Amino acid sequence: MALVDLIRPEVIKVPLVSSTKPEVIRELVEVLRDAGKISDVDLVYDALMKRESLGSTGLEQGIAVPHAKTPAVNSLTVALGISPKGIDFQAIDGEASKLFFLLLAPPDQSGPHIEALADIARLTKSQAFFRTLASATTPDEVVELFTED
Amino acid sequence: MNGPIKKILVYVDGTEGSITATQYAVVLSRAIRAELSALYVINTRALADLLKARIFIKAEEEEYKQDLEADAGRYLNHVRSLARKKGLAIEAVSVSGSVHQEIKSYVQDHDIDLLIIGELSHVRSRRDEFYNEAERAMRSVSCSVLIVKDEDQVWELYDALK
Repeated sequence: MALVDLIRPEVIKVPLVSSTKPEVIRELVEVLRDAGKISDVDLVYDALMKRESLGSTGLEQGIAVPHAKTPAVNSLTVALGISPKGIDFQAIDGEASKLFFLLLAPPDQSGPHIEALADIARLTKSQAFFRTLASATTPDEVVELFTED
Repeated sequence: MNGPIKKILVYVDGTEGSITATQYAVVLSRAIRAELSALYVINTRALADLLKARIFIKAEEEEYKQDLEADAGRYLNHVRSLARKKGLAIEAVSVSGSVHQEIKSYVQDHDIDLLIIGELSHVRSRRDEFYNEAERAMRSVSCSVLIVKDEDQVWELYDALK
């Protein structure tokens, strides 16, 4: 399952209402719960915060990629959030993060997880795409930016 | 082995699609008496890219590399089992590197006539970045490529093979 297959309207939140790192992670985890992708919000939240404690996943140019391995999911699971105002995610360039790709993978399926993260790593090279994505105002608009149909 | 297809390679990445592709490869290899190989690529290129992009920290890169090595062993054992159950010899190999490059190299180095891969994404992307590794391999290898579809039908074919 490729990343593009997983970016569906029900796992996209725009705009995010959170203003801190813990809040935005919980908000996106709750998006996954509401979409029926996970049931144990606290288990997933703790796994993501544990990973963040090792080093922020806030990258340059307003992109953050919180991720974790967790038995709470059976397959690669993605949530995407956009914060037009930006959130302090302790990014490596000190800038506020606006785009959040949250990825969860079961412990025994590292291959698809790595491939999806690599897709995002490749995407980070396109500033124009991220500017366009950050200005999206609805989940459908976000999906449309990724897919052709 | 006098037909046009003497050597078949199936790409295995652990997805259900690649397991279905393996079942089809077993059926086809038996039918045309071709040699069958299976390849799993430990995607160390992606791990390096993720470290470079700072999505991964060093400890994470090591952890995921070990995970992928374990995945390779598990999936290739499964593939060997699928072939053995149908009385077919299979060369199951894991290598490390960039997935599509390693598939391309294996095809060239072993004179593969046909590459078999699992079904590709149904979603067409506007972004080249979303071509998955099997799709990249399909575009770059020198041999013909067969994309396996219809999991149920393939299972019936495999199951019916005595």
